[in-house]
Amino acid sequence: MKFYVCIKQVPDVNAPIQIKGEELIQDTNRMILNAYDASAVEEALVLTEKHGGEVEVVLIGPDKAKETIRKALAMGAQKATHIQTSGDENYDSSTYASILASFFKDKEYDVISCGKQSQDTDAGLTGSMLAELLNLPYATNAVGLEIEDNQLVVKRQGDTGQEMIALPSPCLVTCSNDMNEPRIPSLKGIMQSKRKPMEAVELSSLDVEEDNLAAKTTVTGYQEKPEREAGKKFEGEPDDIAAEVAQLLDTEANVI
Amino acid sequence: MSTNVLDPSKSLSFELSEDQQLIRDSVRDFADRHIAPGVKERDASKEFPHDLVEMLADQGLMGMVHEEKYNGGGVGHVSFCLMIEEIARWDASLALTVASHTSLCSGHIALAGNEQQKEKYLSQLTTGEKLGAWCLTEPGSGSDASGMSTTAVKKGDKWILNGSKIFITQGSVGGIYVVLAKTDPDKGTKGISTFIVEREWDGVQPGGKMEKLGMNSSDTTEVYFENVEVPEENLLGELGRGFIDTMKVLDGGRIGIGALSVGIARGCLEESLKYSSERKQFGSPIGDFQSIENKLADMATEIDAARFLVHRAAWLKDQGKPFTKEVSMAKLFASELAVRAADEAVQIHGGYGYIKEYHVERFMRDAKLMTIGEGTSEVQRMIIARELKKEYS
Repeated sequence: MKFYVCIKQVPDVNAPIQIKGEELIQDTNRMILNAYDASAVEEALVLTEKHGGEVEVVLIGPDKAKETIRKALAMGAQKATHIQTSGDENYDSSTYASILASFFKDKEYDVISCGKQSQDTDAGLTGSMLAELLNLPYATNAVGLEIEDNQLVVKRQGDTGQEMIALPSPCLVTCSNDMNEPRIPSLKGIMQSKRKPMEAVELSSLDVEEDNLAAKTTVTGYQEKPEREAGKKFEGEPDDIAAEVAQLLDTEANVI
Repeated sequence: MSTNVLDPSKSLSFELSEDQQLIRDSVRDFADRHIAPGVKERDASKEFPHDLVEMLADQGLMGMVHEEKYNGGGVGHVSFCLMIEEIARWDASLALTVASHTSLCSGHIALAGNEQQKEKYLSQLTTGEKLGAWCLTEPGSGSDASGMSTTAVKKGDKWILNGSKIFITQGSVGGIYVVLAKTDPDKGTKGISTFIVEREWDGVQPGGKMEKLGMNSSDTTEVYFENVEVPEENLLGELGRGFIDTMKVLDGGRIGIGALSVGIARGCLEESLKYSSERKQFGSPIGDFQSIENKLADMATEIDAARFLVHRAAWLKDQGKPFTKEVSMAKLFASELAVRAADEAVQIHGGYGYIKEYHVERFMRDAKLMTIGEGTSEVQRMIIARELKKEYS
């Protein structure tokens, strides 16, 4: 089976983020492979190691994002496409989905997979939008994948149990990071990744309509998470305290 | 040689290559996931972590500096330093295992071995299939190798090895030993030769584990050789050149000890940053007090200085340039820093620093070996001074 895994470079979740005025300032030196995408890469590798096939990763991003492509290649993906952008653009989920849809329109594949969301915005929209644009059957939030009779069987985690969905090829699936523990590249993998093909594609060559490149949403501002208020301490006789707590739960916390 | 400032391999750069970053990040991920959990338990049990060593071997990290044709990683010593630092950040014992295995036993075979010896022995060491022990030190001789009493006497086409070695890293878990012995006792250091000895051979007997201050899950034992028959083909390097080769092997080994020291010091700093931001006294985190800030700032500054020294030595080795003085400087400064940083980290942690619940108590015990192993601080200063006098004579 031919897998395309869409990956994204995101700031390390531990990197300091500051809000200055209307802008979000991130320490961009610490960029990593989106953890959900890493799970998608891992699962594609496991399935192709078992059933044969090929894993190619696709990334939209600036030059610096090449290091993230190298990581996916070092994990074991066979080749990569880098759709080059300057990194300064104002893209939202629909832009990413439109660019990817243009890229995939003349491609042959069995499965397109990606993380169910990316750690930078946590919007979780691109996968579904891409499936829509390509008119593919799809499933989201996979916690397990199997190949049975040339179909992709997706295990989805629900509130009360698990759901198995069989998707015909070609299809799209978005992956949870609960699915597996992505492998850490070995030294051999790292050294081999240098010699693997990484094709650079200019965004302009994909003929994405101008309208579709523009973000459909507007960020109107950022807010710091409010600081947690200190808890209340009650002292006195148990009966009095109980009455006071009950009253505050009603009037202040509004939970009764 | 003309200098070309446009050639990045020749010009000064403080940026790691993409390969080096990927190697560092991968080992860091590995350390966070597999090495940090259980490190206190390993220190307490003092058991050699065969499982972790096997996992490191699977990652290709048990012989990364050696040639690919002998199953090595074929990457340079700067990458090796990055790896050792990441491991030592959590587990100095494990870092010592990897560093000594790679630089000393394997390093000596890589340096002096012939094709056949490298094929037979180095290829098993680089994959981690066998662990290597390097047997130089004896109860009566350390840095002054000329005082050793282990002997190898030629008998037909065999050498008969007799003697005992002490403080041997991987002494009981090693499968391949590189052993220094006197082949011509009248010639002093020029009468010392090196042999590759297999653990299974008759007369090879590791002693019990030594009780140590720290580095608990690294394997340190005595090793006894009693009438061990070593075939002629296992003479490593030229007859009588053992001491010269040993000095070169030690130069290489000190790169690893330098990187290990930087890793311990970084662990001290990171644990101290964490603790001092959480621990409150007099209404504020102790990290906001200037006396603690000063300690943290000094530690961080010295760690960077030490890392630069270590990386310079590694880079010189990779360039094939002389690095004896530079690596002694790196080892001296980094190891003494590790001890200082551990002392300050315990101080910052106060009473909690003195108990085993936090990591810094272990760092303090582990750090001390750094100023002793592979040449004491005093020996490093002697080497540096000797090199200086050579330069200025």
